[in-house]
Amino acid sequence: MDSEAYTFALKNTLNEIRNVCPDITNTFMFRENCEIIAGDENTSKKAMTRVVNAFAGILEKAASIGGVESITIEGSNRRVNVSHISDTYFVTIASGKADMNHANTVTRILIPTVLKLLEKICPTPLKNSSHLTKKRPVAEPSEEIAMEEPKETEEPEIKPEPLLPEPPVTQLLVENLGGLLVASDTVRVDGQILSQWEDFHERGKIEEVEIETFDGKTTRCKVKPIKESKYERKGTIQMPEKIQLALEIRKGELVRVKPIIE
Amino acid sequence: MVKKKRSFEELASVAEPVALKETSSVSNLRTNLEEIKAYEGVIGYILRNSTSASIELKDPTKVIDYAILSSSALDASEELSELFSLGEVKDIIVEGKNVKVLSLTVEENKISIFMDKDVDCERILRKLSQP
Repeated sequence: MDSEAYTFALKNTLNEIRNVCPDITNTFMFRENCEIIAGDENTSKKAMTRVVNAFAGILEKAASIGGVESITIEGSNRRVNVSHISDTYFVTIASGKADMNHANTVTRILIPTVLKLLEKICPTPLKNSSHLTKKRPVAEPSEEIAMEEPKETEEPEIKPEPLLPEPPVTQLLVENLGGLLVASDTVRVDGQILSQWEDFHERGKIEEVEIETFDGKTTRCKVKPIKESKYERKGTIQMPEKIQLALEIRKGELVRVKPIIE
Repeated sequence: MVKKKRSFEELASVAEPVALKETSSVSNLRTNLEEIKAYEGVIGYILRNSTSASIELKDPTKVIDYAILSSSALDASEELSELFSLGEVKDIIVEGKNVKVLSLTVEENKISIFMDKDVDCERILRKLSQP
């Protein structure tokens, strides 16, 4: 089971939750580092990103109240509920008349069960797309391909070098990067993430990354480690204004970042 | 210049009753919040509007964190209300491991009340709705 299958399984679970509790209109999940895991078919990626961005400020200062366990926003028409389950946040939007006790019972039982089950079936996808990527042997993905597509491997094809694993994609929150001595073509990423990417590929220093917005705009630029300690381990990417303008994004928005391996 | 001055005077005479009403409303809120602050388990509150802000917290070292948390919660509620048509936001409760925060907007006043987890939010909301 790869990460796509993992997301698909979770997406189906979220759709089922809406079937069991019809008053729930939207559900989705994101990780503590603000990475979106999966959402139901009613909720667009853009909407999920906006919600995650909206909650980023709360989650950043959550340590002062002992970490967020839940957030409830009570509106006159609908209510939003965010529950912290394991290392993920589970968001539900329900109509005002919804029986939240029933909905909470369903979600608090179903979600942890499915998460545990998926982790048992395949523990790697959880870490595959997050910035907590673990070192994987280079040969492993080619074995997976061999199992999934036996026809291709039957051909006596001689490969000049081993197949590289797909670069890990990390979702990061955009922070401004300015100053007189700042290169306009270079972004800054947490040194720990860079080391993990380097370990993952065993190909030496990562010097360039590809950045993709949720609107599908991409760019390639140089990368260096973050210098300021306040931005370390925050899941952020410091970006000069020029790159932000090119990607049509602003501070606080999420982007997908992957290393360029050549 | 004379014309401008007159218009300012006119504005002042119109605005005065509204300002008085607002002052009285803020004053009522402050009185209610001071009473709430005395409830068992209540840690303090933040009250802010376009012209002033007051922070009453038992632990002054947490003022900045709590202030950011309060404004983030209120901003998030506005964003989500627009995104998912939540309607008028009545209140926001952020529950932590040790502390919970009740945030709400009364007219133009943004309020956040910090309390222990076992404090009854409904009791606080009832108190705040009192004139």
